[in-house]
Amino acid sequence: MSDAEEDAPFNNEGFEENEEVEEEEDEEEEENPPKPSRRDYDDDEEDEEDEEDEEDMGAERGKKRPKRTKRSAVGRFLDVEAEVDEDEEDEDEEDEYARDEFVVGGEADEDDLARRAADHARFDRRERELDDQDLAKIAEDVSQRYRRTAVRYSGDMSDIPQRLLMPSVHDANLWQVRVRPGKERDLVFSLMRKAIDLEYSNRPLQIVSAFQRDSLPGMIYVEARSAKQVSDACNGLVGIYPSRGIILVPIEEMASLLQIKKQDLTVTPGSWVRIRRGKYQGDIAQVMDITENGEEVGLKFIPRIDLNPKDDGSVEIMGKKRKKGPTGISSSSMRPPQRFFNYEEVVKVYGRKAVSKRNQVYVFQNETYKDGFIEKDFKLAGLQLDNVNPTLDEITRFTHGQDGAENDANVDLSIIAEASRKAAISVLQPGDHVEVFEGEQSGVHGTVHSIEQDIVSIQPVGVDFDGQRIQLPARSVRKRFKPGDHVKVMTGQNADETGLVVSVSANVVTFLSDMSMQEVSVFSKDLREAAEVGTGTNVVGNYELHDLVQLDMQTVGVIFKTERDSFRVLDQNGQVRLVQPHQISMRRDSNRAIATDAEGHELRVNDNVKEVDGEGRKGRVLHTHQSFFAFLHNRDYNEHGGVFVTRARSLVSVAPKGNIMKLGAADLSKMNPALSGGAMGGMVGSGNIGRGPRDRLIGVPVTVVKGPSKGYIGTIKDTNGAIARVELNTGNKVISIDKMKLMWRKPPTGVLEPLENAIAGRPSQGGGSTRTPNPYNNRSSFGQRTGAQTPWDNRTPAWETNRTPNPYAAAGKTPAWNAASRTPNPYADGGRTPAWNSASRTPNPYTNGNASPARPAGGAWGGATPGRSGWGGAASPRQTGWASPARPSGAWAEAPSGPWLLKTVQGEPPLSAPTPGFAPYTPGADLGVTPAAAATPGVFDAYADLRTPLAVFSDHRNAVSTPGVSVGMFANQEGEFELPLRWLLETDISNKRGMMVEVRSSHGANGWYNGEYEGKQGVVLSIFDTHSEQFPSTARVQFPEPLDPSQPIIQVPVEVLAPIHPEKPNEEVLILHGPQKGQMAKVNMVEPGGTMVVTTRMFVVEEITSDKLVRIQADV
Amino acid sequence: MSGAQAAIPPQPRAKQLRACLLCSIIQTPADFRKHGCPNCEELMQMKGYTDRIQACTTTHFDGVIGVIDPEQSWVARWQRTSKYVRGMYAVRVKGRIPDDVEAELESRGIKYRPRDQSEQD
Repeated sequence: MSDAEEDAPFNNEGFEENEEVEEEEDEEEEENPPKPSRRDYDDDEEDEEDEEDEEDMGAERGKKRPKRTKRSAVGRFLDVEAEVDEDEEDEDEEDEYARDEFVVGGEADEDDLARRAADHARFDRRERELDDQDLAKIAEDVSQRYRRTAVRYSGDMSDIPQRLLMPSVHDANLWQVRVRPGKERDLVFSLMRKAIDLEYSNRPLQIVSAFQRDSLPGMIYVEARSAKQVSDACNGLVGIYPSRGIILVPIEEMASLLQIKKQDLTVTPGSWVRIRRGKYQGDIAQVMDITENGEEVGLKFIPRIDLNPKDDGSVEIMGKKRKKGPTGISSSSMRPPQRFFNYEEVVKVYGRKAVSKRNQVYVFQNETYKDGFIEKDFKLAGLQLDNVNPTLDEITRFTHGQDGAENDANVDLSIIAEASRKAAISVLQPGDHVEVFEGEQSGVHGTVHSIEQDIVSIQPVGVDFDGQRIQLPARSVRKRFKPGDHVKVMTGQNADETGLVVSVSANVVTFLSDMSMQEVSVFSKDLREAAEVGTGTNVVGNYELHDLVQLDMQTVGVIFKTERDSFRVLDQNGQVRLVQPHQISMRRDSNRAIATDAEGHELRVNDNVKEVDGEGRKGRVLHTHQSFFAFLHNRDYNEHGGVFVTRARSLVSVAPKGNIMKLGAADLSKMNPALSGGAMGGMVGSGNIGRGPRDRLIGVPVTVVKGPSKGYIGTIKDTNGAIARVELNTGNKVISIDKMKLMWRKPPTGVLEPLENAIAGRPSQGGGSTRTPNPYNNRSSFGQRTGAQTPWDNRTPAWETNRTPNPYAAAGKTPAWNAASRTPNPYADGGRTPAWNSASRTPNPYTNGNASPARPAGGAWGGATPGRSGWGGAASPRQTGWASPARPSGAWAEAPSGPWLLKTVQGEPPLSAPTPGFAPYTPGADLGVTPAAAATPGVFDAYADLRTPLAVFSDHRNAVSTPGVSVGMFANQEGEFELPLRWLLETDISNKRGMMVEVRSSHGANGWYNGEYEGKQGVVLSIFDTHSEQFPSTARVQFPEPLDPSQPIIQVPVEVLAPIHPEKPNEEVLILHGPQKGQMAKVNMVEPGGTMVVTTRMFVVEEITSDKLVRIQADV
Repeated sequence: MSGAQAAIPPQPRAKQLRACLLCSIIQTPADFRKHGCPNCEELMQMKGYTDRIQACTTTHFDGVIGVIDPEQSWVARWQRTSKYVRGMYAVRVKGRIPDDVEAELESRGIKYRPRDQSEQD
């Protein structure tokens, strides 16, 4: 029988029915097409209908019958039928049959509405009369009827034992489908809706049911006859993964899927819970009562009342005069601390009217407070019922209640004891020392031998038991500790603390922490004997001990103690706060913060300082804040983990400091490139050591000359590569803009100049032309610069060659140029380049010796002194870096050497010429590694002075020939050889002739003959050393294949001439380097690796690499 | 397929979905108020009575079954809902029906089976 059939007779008059059906169920509407014509007067009956609905119920129970008299005959009739249809649609089939008899009769009369209505009315009237006559009988009828329907409703099902409902092979199967976790319920609903939607379509879903269990995340189960039906049903739904397999659930497992029972978390009054969310998140609370349906529980816990309310308004609204908070530090963002409700305190802050008192209970802000506790109803879902693990502290807090008064009545310790006992079972391990504290064996102690579920077998200690084991319920034993044991806390707030047990009372153990030297009481279950000394965790979340953290806009603090998931923070006002990681907005980096101490010296992190006033405490600077507060640390103070805060101005350095700042201020002339000669100027500025990197463009006034902001004036606030952040004077806006679009507004006049000028024009910031005050890196950058800028050195190659083999670049870390140009701080820079690092850190034996004699160029060099010391040390580490065979030795040795030598020779050999002077610094590391470079007089200046008296330097040629120097320094540097650029001007070489040379590096703007002679080979006829920078030293070279045949002999600048190395035995050579330098020799043997055995004309046999040799054309 | 069908709650996530303590059908409180329980309204008398709904239904249920074809479904039979309307049912419902309903059931000789799976046979 279908609804349509049922409904058919009523459709004549059954508009109400129709309407309602339509409202609630689309499906019914389909089956039961509405008849518009009948609809017209539905509306006015609708209200009545609701009424009737209610009445129906009453009527059914035989209570409201009299009301029926009010209705029309039709209404009455409909009512009876509608009621059946609505409420018992499919349940009371037999009943319906009986009615259908009648209904069918009605249907037959369909064409005659009036007659039928009359019939119905008559029937109804009869029935009503019946009712009136015998209410009792009616009541019985009704109950009879409902008994039957109710039996239908669950009767035949509920009597069947569950086991008879087990699935059989005839039942549809269950299929497990993977879904996106969290989407299970949605997908079950989706499947349901989809099934309904497609029910009357061409392809209805074939699945029978679908379900999901909360305890089985990531999967749903679909009941269907085949996997295909399942995949059809799943097709098109989001979050369902049929591709991951539609797995058949074995029949025997089907029932268990529906029997999964979550562990019941029952709450009973008195038990402990934690609050999951909100202001009281994580707080412990005690259950007082539970609502009937178990959804809400009444809790009692310690309130957190904000006694420093921030918002005036809220207080004003309440019409209260607010007393100002004692500290004025608003703490609205902070969670107020737990504190028992205190009427006086609250009234003081919020006013008398805010709190009302009823009986023993205070009401404040719609919350109820009793005995200091807040009493509030919570939904069960918002509570954590398991793993509550109340700590002893929390329980004690509860127990003592307000004012520290004993409040035992309110707290039942047995519950927590029970809980802790349960937990204790799980933490027992074989070998643990336990004692029996209840039962017959009470007092016995021993070691745990084995554990089986709840039964532990222990090996008792004592005379009475020799060797026998006793078995006990786990709950009646507890771990046993005795004073003197060294223990470690395994779980809880004090996890990982270790210490020495000082006292034991029942299951509470008190020990003296190794870390804080304070007594800590914990449950014995949380303890384990341990030999190690725990450090505790110093890291919670992203923060660790001694971090400077931002608490709110005004407050920063230093973490001085980390707890399990919170910190103790000492803020700048000296107050201690307990904060959780999420309450920290950020970590502050004070490494670059500047503060000055009492003497005006810079105060930096890690300085050891002491207070000049007050307590005179000493400590190491952890952080400085706003140049005013300094957070210090001293292990000797127990308070706050040794961290304290003081004013930076009241500190002085314990160790006398080099007057770094004063030095910088003292000799400004050295920092001014205009005052120091020529290119040398770049070397100064090392006085700025210690100042962090800072782009000199920052702070420069600029005008935007392109783009949408064109015409705006602003100041550069920050730079990042080619982008500058400019704070516009207008609109208080900071924009990011390409530096190309900016022009410098030269201060006094506002004349626009390119931005680069701004850098050069602000000399006080650093070393003018080289942009870098870094003495270390300076050397390389400086050398490069020199090569490029010095007029007489008209060769770009010099630049190029220096650059290419740049040790910094080769080291793979910091391009020298960049490093040099950006980093005024040698130490900071050193951190990036390992070689430098070690150099600058290792004590350098040459440091002192270097200082004065290594200043060939005079005063301007002064700033470089520290640099050199570092550099000297750097030589050795660098060397190893260079010794790597990966380096193409040939190219390296030759390319730069020519120009170098020439340069050297050209420069005034003694100290007067700046060229040799700074030559050693030029390719910083090159010099360190290559003997050839060392051949440069300048280098020798630098090195020689380490060992030899100053006098040696008066003539550096002597210095060069000093065997001690060359051998001593470079003896172990075989294989690393760099011929100076101006090798032809070297002592003992410049007076020779016949050297075979090749023109190299003659290209470029400063090139020679535009590079036309590049690669040409020739023979040196003579060398003309001008001993001057101004006039290039030249060599007369005869070219066998000149460009211009008429001029086979040309004057060639020495810089472009590179030696031709011998390759074969029996070639005549000139030794360019080594003890036999300047000697003519003959190659005897060529050994692999370019090593040659030569015999000089003095019959000295020497083993030497070919790059230290130049071929000689003997017949010139 | 039976035409009878319960209102399907529009939002599965809705926190306030409630399950009937007797037949375990899941509906929104609004549906319960408007139409009562589609299966056991005559016992529960929830229609229109919010407090009655509070007493006879609960939000504490676990597992949702979409019963598409109650007669054919083993799941529905296992859950003893195969004679009920189509709709969403809970696998497990926590709580017991009010005492008066339980008494009524008893008076009719119907065995009450709590849906919290506390009793197994």
